[in-house]
Amino acid sequence: MNSAQIEIQLIASLVAIACAIPGTFLVLRKMAMISDAISHSILPGIVIGFFITQDLNSPILILFAAFTGIITVVLVEYIQKTGLVKEDTAIGLVFPALFSIGVILIAKNANDVHLDVDAVLLGELAFAPFDRLLISGIDVGPKALWIIGVILLITISLLFAFFKELKISTFDAGLAASLGFSPAIIHYGLMSVASVTTVGAFDAVGAILVVALMITPAATAYLLTTDLKKMLALAITFGVLSAISGYWFAHWLDASIAGSITTMLGLLFLIVYLFAPSKGVIAVMYREKQQRIEVSLLTFLLHLKNHNELEERHVNHLREHINWQKVRAKTVLELALKNNMIMVDNNIVSLTEKGDTFTSKAIDYIITNEDAQIEDMKDDFFLFRG
Amino acid sequence: MTKIAVKVDDLTVAYNYKPVLWDIDLEIPEGVLMAIVGPNGAGKSTLIKSILGILKPIAGSVSIYGKPYEKQRQLVAYVPQKGSVDWDFPTTALDVVMMGTYGSLGWIKRPRQKEKKAALEALEKVGMLAFKNRQISQLSGGQQQRIFLARALVQNASIYFMDEPFQGVDATTEIAIINILKELRKAGKTVIVVHHDLQTVPEYFDWVTFLNVKKIATGPVKDIFNDDNLTKTYGINYKVSIQK
Ligand SMILES: Nc1ncnc2c1ncn2[C@@H]1O[C@H](COP(=O)(O)OP(=O)(O)O)[C@@H](O)[C@H]1O
Ligand SMILES: [Mg+2]
Repeated sequence: MNSAQIEIQLIASLVAIACAIPGTFLVLRKMAMISDAISHSILPGIVIGFFITQDLNSPILILFAAFTGIITVVLVEYIQKTGLVKEDTAIGLVFPALFSIGVILIAKNANDVHLDVDAVLLGELAFAPFDRLLISGIDVGPKALWIIGVILLITISLLFAFFKELKISTFDAGLAASLGFSPAIIHYGLMSVASVTTVGAFDAVGAILVVALMITPAATAYLLTTDLKKMLALAITFGVLSAISGYWFAHWLDASIAGSITTMLGLLFLIVYLFAPSKGVIAVMYREKQQRIEVSLLTFLLHLKNHNELEERHVNHLREHINWQKVRAKTVLELALKNNMIMVDNNIVSLTEKGDTFTSKAIDYIITNEDAQIEDMKDDFFLFRG
Repeated sequence: MTKIAVKVDDLTVAYNYKPVLWDIDLEIPEGVLMAIVGPNGAGKSTLIKSILGILKPIAGSVSIYGKPYEKQRQLVAYVPQKGSVDWDFPTTALDVVMMGTYGSLGWIKRPRQKEKKAALEALEKVGMLAFKNRQISQLSGGQQQRIFLARALVQNASIYFMDEPFQGVDATTEIAIINILKELRKAGKTVIVVHHDLQTVPEYFDWVTFLNVKKIATGPVKDIFNDDNLTKTYGINYKVSIQK
């Protein structure tokens, strides 16, 4: 690896981390769309900031653009508050309007600079190492690395300082407000971080990748954990993993780096979506199948408990009596036998003592819905896992 | 003379300029266990949220023991309506209860051992200690409500506001919750509960407020819980077969 390659991967990884942190909270707040809006509507802010500063990397320009991001959020909320349209409609109204203002401003005035719409949407990570930061003539590294590094540092400090406030206002805004943690302050704080990160990252990686890096790693992590801290850690891991593997994928195919990273993000999400242990599609399908079997098992046990007559408990009769279409009788019989709940004697099925107790308990649970009854049965049966 | 715990003066609250609470005057004496009753959309939740400073009224004022709410936060605990939070949020029962301690911590400071101990005690009190590490979406409706109650208990407040704590809970949990509320009252706390089941008002509460956009009546259950006030609140000619 040469130094430019290392620098590109470093920039992409730092961008991934800086995006995953606010992204996690945006996903939990069901505000994924707003990051899309911000990433587009900061364009006029960048253009106007550029007219004023004449420098694409000036911190003033970043603040200017971030401010446009906040204006987007305020406008969306204002339109939504009128009660005439829903939030997604409000977002759909605001950001194309602002984005097109930006496009017109570029077309009219900025033909001579490297501000063009393609670069804005896709960015060009491959060129990032050529734009160096010189401090009194000494080369200290790519400008993009410094910009995103500073933003990341600020983001991490804010996360550590306000983790508890972010958590409570995201989970329960009402309680947060009643305890004196103004949800509005936290909301706009988060939006500011998201805006600044978007602006800082987007010159290097483009608007589309910024949105993908904010939302996809967090959405992937959400499928895997029930702990907020782990969700953050996983989102960061997925982001960095996609950034680095995406870089090499692009290298191998000689394709756009941003496009390849986005592809990796999508791929990772797909894998987790299918195979996640409890929320994944396959796990859910398996669980549903188990539950069908267990319902049949319970029906079967109840029938045995309710009927003492031998003919009602004959293997052949059981086949007709209970609705076995969905689950094959054999599976249920085997499950009951394996758990020592029934015994079969001369083709006559009867409950064992264990089966009898289990059935009584299960009935109690179904009738009273008392959770205490079910706690010790949970390990044996999916059915009661909620 | 008992002290006034909560005082509401000329309170008017609106969403999108449409008032949902009109000119409410209300005094809640210290140490009562009070039900707020009224039909759906009467503004019961809105009233509580306005008292707690979550909503800004367009007119009127609220005081807690004579001072504005902002100065008295530490005295007040709040249990929101269950539907108001995201139960799929990645967090555990213990963690949710710990949130009750955030108010006394203030900004930036983090919960430590002391806060955790208080949260565990509160969980124990509502009979949920065994579930402390359970993800909150994997709790039944009744268990979720107990967690909310524990979170309020951990705030160690003087006044408790609860928005429909019996919504979607089983009979055992309902009895467990009401017993804890009665204990709180015995300890001199003031407890204000939005309540739906009119049958149980006389059994559970000693004070009641009828609300439907306007305040219809407020006072001791034995004096004002009657067909007349119920009819005024619920519109239809109300005949309750409630034995007192
Ligand atoms: N966020 C909101 N925006 C607009 N209207 C609302 C909002 N919340 C409540 N409302 C309206 O205010 C009225 C009172 O609501 P609420 O206080 O929740 O009633 P209750 O708790 O008594 O059922 C209802 O008509 C409801 O539709
Ligand atoms: Mg309500």
